[in-house]
Amino acid sequence: MADLDRFTCEEVFRRLDDYLDRELSTEEMRLVREHIATCAACAAEHRFEQRVLEDVKDKLRRIAMPAGLLDKVHAAILRAQAEAPP
Amino acid sequence: MVSGESATGTAGRAGSAASFEGLLTPLLDAAYGTALRLTRNAADAEDLVQEAAYHAYRGFGSFEPGTNFKAWFFRILTNAFYSKYRKRKREGTQVDLDDTPELYLYCQTQAAGLHSRSEDPATALMDQLDQDAVARAIDSLPEEYRVVATLYFMQDYQYQEIADILSVPVGTVRSRLHRGRRLLQKALWTIAEERGIIARMAAGPERGGVENG
Repeated sequence: MADLDRFTCEEVFRRLDDYLDRELSTEEMRLVREHIATCAACAAEHRFEQRVLEDVKDKLRRIAMPAGLLDKVHAAILRAQAEAPP
Repeated sequence: MVSGESATGTAGRAGSAASFEGLLTPLLDAAYGTALRLTRNAADAEDLVQEAAYHAYRGFGSFEPGTNFKAWFFRILTNAFYSKYRKRKREGTQVDLDDTPELYLYCQTQAAGLHSRSEDPATALMDQLDQDAVARAIDSLPEEYRVVATLYFMQDYQYQEIADILSVPVGTVRSRLHRGRRLLQKALWTIAEERGIIARMAAGPERGGVENG
């Protein structure tokens, strides 16, 4: 019988993605956090996944809109306004 | 009277356009970045953002002030993407997911001996992969995974918010996102191998080894 107040490595592994995205219940978040705090293997996996996610987010978000898009968007709004006034 | 109403109407419209643009302008970098990953093409991305702005302004009357304008706009952006580009290529997305296990990069970097070469193998690897490599990896995902992954990576959305934007169940978002990440990791690994990054890293000194000179 599994200890209800403690997650096994397998149980943490299955929840790792949701844990990284804070999509677990408060209780499950706590159980995963406590496991990771005491299990070096799961902690290493968690750290690895987190670093990859952070890095991908950071790199994808560095993109700025091209010069000129703001004017084009403004023109699109004027066009919409002229065609169908709200 | 008529001219008075007309003047009020014009002022109202101008005010509406100004408040719409005030809400939209701060989102345009993120909107363009998202459109770029969806369309995988700079010219199409610009077109998509303009089209979304056009539709959003026309539907601005249905936007409830005080609610999440960003989520509302991104729903219009993704809908515009689907209606414009999806019918063009209804690619059957046959993906061999069983082929891509969990923790793909973790296992691959470990097997390549990189964990004994760095205390932080994830950062060591990602530092070698530039913005272009990451963009290419996302772009390689089949559409259904790419759309969810793009919304996830570009914004700090919860699964439910992505589900609301795409009008799909939250479980669909969860499974597509988790699978999408596995495919993304596989793509990143392939790019790293193609660029000789893994071979170079694997040739580096082991951790704790005595450095020469």
